[in-house]
Amino acid sequence: MSENKKVYLQPTPVRIWHWLNAFGIITLTVSGAQIRFPEYITLLGNYKSVIYLHNTAGFVVAISFTFWFFYYVFIARSMANLYVPKVEELKTGLLRQIKFYFLTYFLGWENPHHPTPKNKFNPMQKSAYLAIMFVLMPLVSLTGIFMTNVEPLRGVIVMLGGLKILMNFHFLLACCLIAFLPTHMYLTTLGHTPLEHIKTMWTGWEEGEEEVSGSEHIGTVSTR
Amino acid sequence: MNCFYIDKLLPMILGLMLFFMPCSLLAMDADYCLMCHGDTDMVSGSLLIEATTFDTTAHAILGCTTCHESIDDEHPNGDSKLSRATCLDCHDHLGQEYMMTDHANYATCGDCHNPHEVRAMDAMAGYDMNDKCFKCHEVPAMVDLHKQWLPQANLHIAKLPCITCHTGSEGYEIVLNIVAKQDDRFLSRYELPDYQTLQEISGEAGILSLIDNDGDSFITLRELKAFNRNPKYRDLRLAGTMVPSDVSHDLSTLDNRYDCTFCHVSGPQSMQTSFLAIPNRDGGYQRIQVEQGAVLDALYGTPDFYMVGTTRSASMNIIGLIIICGGLVMPVGHGLLRFLTRKNRQH
Ligand code: HEC
Ligand code: HEC
Ligand code: HEC
Ligand code: HEC
Ligand code: HEC
Ligand code: HEC
Repeated sequence: MSENKKVYLQPTPVRIWHWLNAFGIITLTVSGAQIRFPEYITLLGNYKSVIYLHNTAGFVVAISFTFWFFYYVFIARSMANLYVPKVEELKTGLLRQIKFYFLTYFLGWENPHHPTPKNKFNPMQKSAYLAIMFVLMPLVSLTGIFMTNVEPLRGVIVMLGGLKILMNFHFLLACCLIAFLPTHMYLTTLGHTPLEHIKTMWTGWEEGEEEVSGSEHIGTVSTR
Repeated sequence: MNCFYIDKLLPMILGLMLFFMPCSLLAMDADYCLMCHGDTDMVSGSLLIEATTFDTTAHAILGCTTCHESIDDEHPNGDSKLSRATCLDCHDHLGQEYMMTDHANYATCGDCHNPHEVRAMDAMAGYDMNDKCFKCHEVPAMVDLHKQWLPQANLHIAKLPCITCHTGSEGYEIVLNIVAKQDDRFLSRYELPDYQTLQEISGEAGILSLIDNDGDSFITLRELKAFNRNPKYRDLRLAGTMVPSDVSHDLSTLDNRYDCTFCHVSGPQSMQTSFLAIPNRDGGYQRIQVEQGAVLDALYGTPDFYMVGTTRSASMNIIGLIIICGGLVMPVGHGLLRFLTRKNRQH
C-alpha cells in the first residue's frame, strides 16, 4: 500500500459526453424496442410519444457524437493517437491484451496496459472503439437520419435498395451496439475494485496502482 | 346485410328493371345520348362524357335516363333544365351516414364524385382516392396541419389515402401499386403510371404478366421477388399503401388513428393480406390477391413498403437476438471464470 497516485484520465467534456451518450443509448434501446415490438413493450407511453422520444434521443446522440469527434480531432488533437491502434500495437499489443483478459487475468497478473491521458486505451479497447465509434455509430446515426426523412430522401433510399434494407440495416447495427453494452459494462468492473473504472468516468481521476509492475507504458512518460 | 340490400341490391334491381324496359326509352338511352355527349364536335366542357369511361362505371347499367328522367324529344332545344337524380335516392345508407357528419356542410356528393365516372373503392389504385380531397384540401396545407401531431406528416400525406384515417372503417387492406420512374434524371421520382405506359412495357402478355409469371392471377412471394430483382424492370418499383377495408363516409377521426395504434400497433398478423392493383384499359383498377404474409418478407418481397411496428420480419428478429446474445458471451463466460479463479487475485 505504498503509492497512491492519481491520474487525470477523463477530461470534463469527455465525461459529459460519455454520460449523455450512455443515457441516450439506453433511451434509444428501450424506445427502439418499443417501436419494433409495440404490442409487447409499452414502457414509454403511446406509440407517437415513443417515436418522438426515439427521434429526439437519436438526434442528441448524433449531435453529441459530432461534438465528441470535433473535440478530439481539433481541440484535444489526440483522436488518432487515442483511437487508432498503431501497427506495433496490433502486432504485439493486441495479443498481449487478449492473453491478459483471457488467461493471465485469471492467474492474478497485472493488466499490461496502464492508462495515461495520452494513451488511455489498451490495444483491444482501441480496436473495439475504432469499430464502434467510426463504423457502427456513424452508420446507425446516418440510417436513422434517413429514416426520419423518408419522403425528402426517397430518391436516395431507393438508390440504396429500398426502405426495407435501410430499416433492417439500422436494426442490425443497433443490435450490434446493444450487444456491446454488456461487454462494455462488464469490462468496467475489471479494475482493482469493481467500481474503480466507473468512478473514473464520473470524477475523471483514475487511482494510481498500489503495486508497481514492470510493464512498459506505450508512448508516454510514466507517472511514477 | 341490411346495408348491402339498400346500398347495392336495391339500386341494382332498379337498374336492371330499367335496363330491360322496352323500346322507346331504351332507344333514347346511353348510346343515343352519347352520340352527342361523347362527341367533342357536339358538346364540350362538363357536357362531354367520355363514352369509354362511362361504359365501365358502375352506373353504366342505369343508362342515362334513369337519372335524367325528364328528357324529352325537344332536347337539346327544350327550355327546361333536365332533372338529375340525387345520389341519396339510391345510395341511401352511405348517403345518410355522410349527411349526418359535419362534412356534409362543406361538400356535397357531387363535389367528390362525378356521377358519370364513379368507381368502387376496390376499382381504384389507392392514392388516387385523394384526388377528391385535394380539390379543397391542398397538400402543403395538409402537411402543415398534420405535422402538429403526426411524425413524418409529409410521408403519411404522400402515401396514404386520407380516408384510411378519416373514416369509420374497422380495418385496412394493403394495396401494392406498380410505380414507374418519371425520367432519366438521377434520383427521379416514381409515380403511378397509366395503363398505356405499363402496357408498352409489358407488351402483348398484359400488365399482370410483369409480375404474375405463371399467369394464374395470383401473386406469390417468389414472383414478387423475381420482379423486384429483375434488371429489366429497374425503372419500376412496388409502392405500398393501405386503404380502408369497409366503405364508410363518416369523415370524423377515430382515436386509434390519432394515437397510431390502428396501423403501427396492430401486429404482423394484420399485415398478412395484400393485393396488387393493376390498371385496366378503362382507367379503373383490378385487384389481384397476393400470397399471405408477402409484405413481411425481410428484403425483396416489397423493398419499399415498411411500416415500423408491424412489418418487422421474423428472421431479422432472430438474427438481432443472436447478435445481442453474442454480446453476453463475454460477460457471462469471463465472469464465470473470474469467479472460479477469484483466489488468484487476492493479494
Ligand atoms: C342531338 C345531340 C344531343 C343528344 C342526342 C342529347 N343531347 Fe343532351 N345536350 C346537347 C346539347 C347541345 C346540350 C347543351 C344545351 C345547352 O347548352 O343549352 C345538351 C345538354 C344536356 C344536359 C345539360 C343541360 C340540362 O338541360 O340540364 C343534360 C343533362 C343532357 N344534355 C342530357 C342528355 C341525355 C340524358 C341525353 C340522352 C337521353 C341527351 N342529353 C341527348 C345535345 C344532345
Ligand atoms: C347516377 C345518375 C346519373 C346517370 C346514370 C347519368 N347522369 Fe348525367 N348527371 C347526373 C347528375 C347528378 C348530374 C349533375 C352533376 C352536377 O351538377 O355536378 C348530371 C349532369 C349531367 C350533365 C350536365 C353536366 C353539367 O355540367 O351540367 C350532362 C350533359 C349529363 N349528365 C349527361 C348524361 C348522360 C349523357 C348520361 C348517360 C351516358 C348520364 N348523364 C348519366 C346523374 C347521372
Ligand atoms: C338510380 C339509382 C342511382 C343513383 C341516383 C345513383 N347511383 Fe350510384 N350506383 C347505383 C347502382 C345500381 C350502382 C352499382 C352498384 C353495384 O355495382 O354494386 C351504383 C354504384 C355507385 C358507385 C360505385 C360503387 C360500387 O359499389 O360499384 C359510386 C361511387 C356511386 N354509385 C356514387 C353515386 C353518386 C355520387 C351518386 C349521385 C351523383 C349516385 N351514385 C347516384 C345507382 C345509383
Ligand atoms: C369528401 C368527399 C366525398 C363525399 C362528399 C362523398 N364521397 Fe363517396 N366516396 C369518397 C371516396 C374518397 C370514396 C372511395 C373511393 C371511391 O370509390 O371513389 C367514396 C366512395 C363512394 C362509393 C363507393 C363505395 C364502394 O362500394 O366502393 C359510393 C357509393 C359513394 N362514395 C357514395 C357517395 C354518396 C351517395 C355521397 C353523398 C351523400 C358521397 N359519396 C359523398 C368521397 C366522398
Ligand atoms: C368541396 C370541398 C371539399 C372537399 C372535396 C373535401 N373537403 Fe374536407 N372540408 C372542406 C371544408 C370547407 C372543411 C371545413 C374547413 C376545414 O376544416 O378545413 C373540411 C373539413 C374536413 C375535415 C375536418 C372537419 C370535419 O368535421 O370533418 C376533414 C377530416 C376533412 N375535411 C376530410 C376530407 C377528406 C378525407 C376529403 C376527401 C375524401 C375531403 N375532406 C374533401 C371541404 C372539402
Ligand atoms: C395518419 C392518418 C391521417 C391521414 C393519412 C390524414 N389525416 Fe387528417 N387528421 C388525422 C387525425 C388523427 C386528425 C385529428 C387531429 C386532432 O384531433 O388534432 C386529423 C385532422 C385533419 C383535419 C382537421 C380536423 C379539425 O378538426 O380541424 C383535416 C381538415 C384533415 N385531417 C384532412 C385530411 C386530408 C384532406 C387528408 C389527406 C390528404 C388527411 N387528413 C390525411 C389523421 C390523418
